[in-house]
Amino acid sequence: MRRAVIPLLFALVLSACGGGGGGTSTTPTGTPKTGGTLKVGQETEIVTLDPNASGLLVEREIYYNMYDSLLGIDAKLNFVPQLAKSWQFPDDKTLVFNLRSDVKFHDGTPFNSEAVKFNIDRYMNDPKSVRKSDLASVDSVEAKDPTTAVFHLKRPDGTLLAQLVDRAGMMLSPTAIKQAGANLSVSPIGAGSGPFEFVEWKRDDHLTLKRNPNYWRKDKDGHQLPYLDQIAYRPIIDLNSLLAALKTGDVDFVRTVAGKDVDGVKADSTLVYRDVPTLGFNAIWLNHSVPPFNDPAKAKAVALAIDRAQILKTVLFNVGVVSYGPVSPASWGFDPSQKIYDKPDPDKAKTTATGFSFTLKTANNQDSIQTATLIQAQLAKAGITVNVLPEEFGRQTTETRAHQFEAALQGWSGRIDPDGNTFSFYHTGGSFNDGLYSNPQVDQLLEQARASTDRAKRKQLYADLQRLLVGDVAEVYLTHGTVAQISTNKIRNFTLIPDGMNRFAEVWKS
Amino acid sequence: MFEYLVRRLALMVPTAFLVTVGVFLLIHLTPGDPAVIILAESYTPEAAAQLHKDLGLDKPLPEQYARYMGRLAHGDLGRSLRNKLPVTQAIGERLPATLELGLAALCWSLLVAIPLGTIAALRRGRTVDVIASGVTVAGISMPNFVLGILLILIFGLVLRALPVGGFAALSDSIPDNLSRLILPAIALGTFGAAANMRFTRSSMIEVLNQDYIRTARAKGASRLRVVNHHALKNALIPVVTVVGLQIGAILEGALVTETVFSWPGVGKLAVDSIFGKDFPVVQGIVLMSALSFMLANLLVDVLYAWLDPRISYA
Amino acid sequence: MSTAAPAYTGVDELPVALEEQGPPRLRRLLLDHPRIIVGLLLLLLLAVTALVAPWVAPRNPLAVDPDNARLAPGLAHLFGTDELGRDVLSRVIWGGRISLPVAFVAVAVGLTVGGAIGLAAGYRGGAADLLLMRLIDGILAFPALILAIALVAALGPSLKNAMIAIGIVQVPVYARLTRAQVLQLKGLDFITASRALGASATRIIGRHMLPNLLNPLIVQVTLSAAAAMLAEATLSFLGLSAPPPTPDWGFMINTGQRYLINGDWWLTLGPGAAICIAVFGFNWLGDALRDALDPRLRR
Repeated sequence: MRRAVIPLLFALVLSACGGGGGGTSTTPTGTPKTGGTLKVGQETEIVTLDPNASGLLVEREIYYNMYDSLLGIDAKLNFVPQLAKSWQFPDDKTLVFNLRSDVKFHDGTPFNSEAVKFNIDRYMNDPKSVRKSDLASVDSVEAKDPTTAVFHLKRPDGTLLAQLVDRAGMMLSPTAIKQAGANLSVSPIGAGSGPFEFVEWKRDDHLTLKRNPNYWRKDKDGHQLPYLDQIAYRPIIDLNSLLAALKTGDVDFVRTVAGKDVDGVKADSTLVYRDVPTLGFNAIWLNHSVPPFNDPAKAKAVALAIDRAQILKTVLFNVGVVSYGPVSPASWGFDPSQKIYDKPDPDKAKTTATGFSFTLKTANNQDSIQTATLIQAQLAKAGITVNVLPEEFGRQTTETRAHQFEAALQGWSGRIDPDGNTFSFYHTGGSFNDGLYSNPQVDQLLEQARASTDRAKRKQLYADLQRLLVGDVAEVYLTHGTVAQISTNKIRNFTLIPDGMNRFAEVWKS
Repeated sequence: MFEYLVRRLALMVPTAFLVTVGVFLLIHLTPGDPAVIILAESYTPEAAAQLHKDLGLDKPLPEQYARYMGRLAHGDLGRSLRNKLPVTQAIGERLPATLELGLAALCWSLLVAIPLGTIAALRRGRTVDVIASGVTVAGISMPNFVLGILLILIFGLVLRALPVGGFAALSDSIPDNLSRLILPAIALGTFGAAANMRFTRSSMIEVLNQDYIRTARAKGASRLRVVNHHALKNALIPVVTVVGLQIGAILEGALVTETVFSWPGVGKLAVDSIFGKDFPVVQGIVLMSALSFMLANLLVDVLYAWLDPRISYA
Repeated sequence: MSTAAPAYTGVDELPVALEEQGPPRLRRLLLDHPRIIVGLLLLLLLAVTALVAPWVAPRNPLAVDPDNARLAPGLAHLFGTDELGRDVLSRVIWGGRISLPVAFVAVAVGLTVGGAIGLAAGYRGGAADLLLMRLIDGILAFPALILAIALVAALGPSLKNAMIAIGIVQVPVYARLTRAQVLQLKGLDFITASRALGASATRIIGRHMLPNLLNPLIVQVTLSAAAAMLAEATLSFLGLSAPPPTPDWGFMINTGQRYLINGDWWLTLGPGAAICIAVFGFNWLGDALRDALDPRLRR
C-alpha cells in the first residue's frame, strides 16, 4: 500500500521523523575527498521538478541540490546569504536584495535582477502556480540594476524571507524555462544554478544530478564545492525495503525509517543515525463548529485525558518529543516555559466533561490507525467513547477541508517561519482552518506577528499565541517527530537542518 | 466461424460501453477531491478552483463523460492527475514489469501443474492422488498475500536467500531482476498452479479413458510412451484454453502481490491510483483489463474450436 | 484471487441434474463421500469457535496494553501480543465473527440477486435475456477484485460495504449458472408438458425448476463462500473492511507484516493460518460436494 503521498498526511510526518536527541548538527569531518556518487533512497515518488507546481517534501529535497534560492538557512534556522549577498527593509513595505554578480545558471545564462523578476513574476502570475499564496504580500519586483532587486510589498510581511528560502525563492534560468515550456516539470535541463546539475529523470526509477563544475561556492579552504560527482535518487516506497536497501548498500542515505527500526539502525556500526526535532507537528484536529467540540469543555477533557508520552513511546518508539503547541521546539518561536496538559489526568478530564462520544477520522495507514486505537483506549478511561474511522487519505483531507468531521488525526510537515505553522490554521477563515476555530485575540496576534520583522517582538507574540491556542484546545497537540540523517558511515560533513531538506553541497564520501 | 467471430465482437461493444459508464460513475461518485491530493500542502481554495477548471471537474458529470468518450474515440485516455503523464504512457511504463511477473507466474503454475496433475491422474485414488488433491485445495485456499508474506519470512528473513521486494530492470541487471522475480512469481502463480493441476488431472483422466489410449496400451505400448506420445497432447488442449482464462486472475492477483513485494507494475499502479483518486489512470487500467479479459475469452473460444474439431459454431 | 473456483469458468462445465430427483439420501451421501464429513467438521469447528468466542477467548481482544506490546508467544499469551499489546490468540478467535458472516452475507447477496437475474433471463428469454446478460457481461468484464476495491472505495470502507461489494462481484456466477440450468430444463419434456397443461410460471419454477437447480447451487454456494472469504481477507488487508480496532484477520496480517523484518512473526502467523484454514474448509467441502452431487463425475 502506498504510504503517504503528501506531507500533510499524518503518516508521512510521523515516519519522516526520527529520535528525540539534539547533539551536534554536523558529522565529523576530515580531509574532504572529491568524487563519488551519493545514492539517496526516497520514501515517496516525486511528481514534478518545477517549483511552481510542487507540493511534496521529496521534491523540495531534490530542488535544494540543483536550484539556489535567494536566501539559505543554517542549522539554527538563521537566514544566510545565497544568491542574495545581503538584504534589508528600508521601510516596512520594501525589501531590497543585493545579488551576487558571479553566478551563472547551468545553461550559461547569467543570474541577475531580471532573472529574479522573471521568476517571481512567474510564481505570482502563472495560472498553474501553487506559489501564489507564498508571495501574497508581494506587489511587484523591480530590477533596479543588475545586482539590485527590489520587492515592493502590499503590506508589511515578516514571513517573506522564509518563503524566499523555500520554493518561492528558487531561481531558475529564464532561458531554460522558456525553452523547456511544459517540459520543465520533467526535464529542467540547465535550469538551476545550484551545486548539482540535472541530468535525467526516469519516472519512478531514478533521478540523476551531476556536479556543477562552475558552482559559485568554495569551502573554507578555498576548495571548489561540491565534492561529490553525482547524486542518484531512487524511490523505494516501502519503508522496510528502504531500510534493507540502506543495509545492503544499495543506497547511502535515506530520510526516514520506521520508528520501530531506529534502535536497530543505531546499533549497526556501519550506519549513522542522528536526528533533531522537526518543524512539523501531529495533532487531533477538532471541529469547533459542530458537537461535541463546539463545547470547549469537551475539547479540554480530551486534551486532559490524552497520554502523549504513551503515544510517543508506542507508535513512534520515542523517536520525537511530545507536543506543547503548533510551533516545534526546533523553532525560535517555541516557548519552552509553557507546558499545559503535560501529564495525562483522566480524573480531571472526567470532572471537566465525560460520557460523550465522537468520531475520529484517520488516514488509512498503520501509524495513524495505531495512534487512533491508542487514543481510543486512553479516552475510554475518562468515559469518552471514540469511534475510529480510517479513510483513504485523499478522502479524509477532502472531508476535513470541507469541515465534514468531528475530529481527525492530521499532521503538518512544518515551515521555517512559525507563521507557516499557525496563520492559515488558526486565523478565522484561514485556508487550513478545517475546524473553523475562531478567536479574535488569536487573529490579532497572528496578524501582528506576521506584519513584524522584529524577531524579539515576534517571539513574544508567538508565546502568547501558544498559550491561547493550547488553552483553547484549538487542536489537541500530540507529538513532534524528528528529521534525521540515516546513512552509511561513509557520508561525511552532512549538516542536519530542522526543515528536513538534505543539502549535499558540502557532503563527501570516504 | 467468421460469422461467429463478428457476432461475438459485436456483443463486446455494448459490454465495453457498460464498462466505461460503470467505471466512470464509480470513480466520480467516490468521495474525495483530487485537487486536495494534488495540491497537498500547497492547497488554497483559489488554487483548487483553478485546478478544477483545468481538469474540467467543474463541468456537470454527463458533460465530463461525453468529453471523456470523445477523447477515448481518438485513443486518448487522458492524463494522470498525479504526474501529468498520458495514461497510455503511465500504464505502458508499468506494463513490462507486470507482464514479466505474470509470465513468470504462469510458467511456475504450469511447471507445477502439468507433471503433478498427470501423476495424480495416473495414480487416481491412490495416496499420491489424495495428497495432490489436498495440496490443490490448499493452493487455491491460500490468499496470495499470505503466501507472499510466508515466502518473505522464509526465504528473505530466515534463510536470507532472496531479496524481499523491489524491482530491478531487466536491462540493468539480469541476475538482480530474476532474483527479485522468484518470490512474487511463486506467490502469484500458486493459485493458478493449483487450479491448473486440478484441471490437468481431470482432463487426463478423461483422455486415459478414451478408446484409442486403451488400444495403444493393448498393443503393448509402455505406459510412459502412451502418456508422452498420445495422452498428454490431447489432455493439454483444454488446459491451454483454461490458461487463457487465467489472465484475469493473474491481473487481480497482481494487485496484491505487487503491493506486498513493492513490484512497480500495473497492479500496484491500480491500487495506488484508486487510493490516490487518480481517476484517469484507474479508468485506463480498468478499461484495458476489461478489454484484454474479453478478448482473451474470445481467443480461448476460438482456439478451442480450432484445437478441437468436434466443436462447431453454427 | 478469483471469485469463482477455476473449474467453473465456462458454462459447459456445469454439473447437471437433468431428471427430477428426490433429495439425495443424506446418510448414503455422507457414507460414500467421507471427504464431505471432513469439510463439514472443519467448518463446524470454525463456526462454533466464532460463536463461543466470548467464552473461549482468553482475553478481551480489544484490551490495549502498550507496556506489553509484541511479546513473543508464551504461557501468558499463547500466540503472543500485537503492536498495542493485545492478545493475538483472542483476536484470531474473535476474527471468525467477522469473516464467516461476511462470507454468508456476500453469498446470500450473490445467490438471491444472481439467481433472480438468471431465472428471469432464462425463463423469459428474448429481450429480457439479452439485456440482463449484457449487464452480467458488463460486471464480469471487470476484474472482480478491482471492482470490489473500487466499490468499497466509493461506498466508504466498512464491513457492510465490503459485504455488498463482494456480493455484487458474486452475482454473475449465479446468474449464469441459473440461466444455463433453466435453459436446459425448459426444453425438457416434463416442463413442456406442465406448461401445456396450463401450469403457472410460479408453479413451474417453484415445483420443477428450483429442485433441479439445488445441486449445482449447493456446490457453487460452498465454493463461492470460499471465494468471498478470500475477497474479504484481501479487502481488509488493504484496509477496506471493518474499522479498527475490530479484530479482522486480513488487517491483522497487514499490521503484522511491518514487524516481520524485526523478527516478530507471530503477529501474522495466527491470522494467516486462520484465513487459510477457513477458506480451505469451504473449498474442500465444495470439492467433495461436487464429486458427490455431479453425476458426470461419477464413473
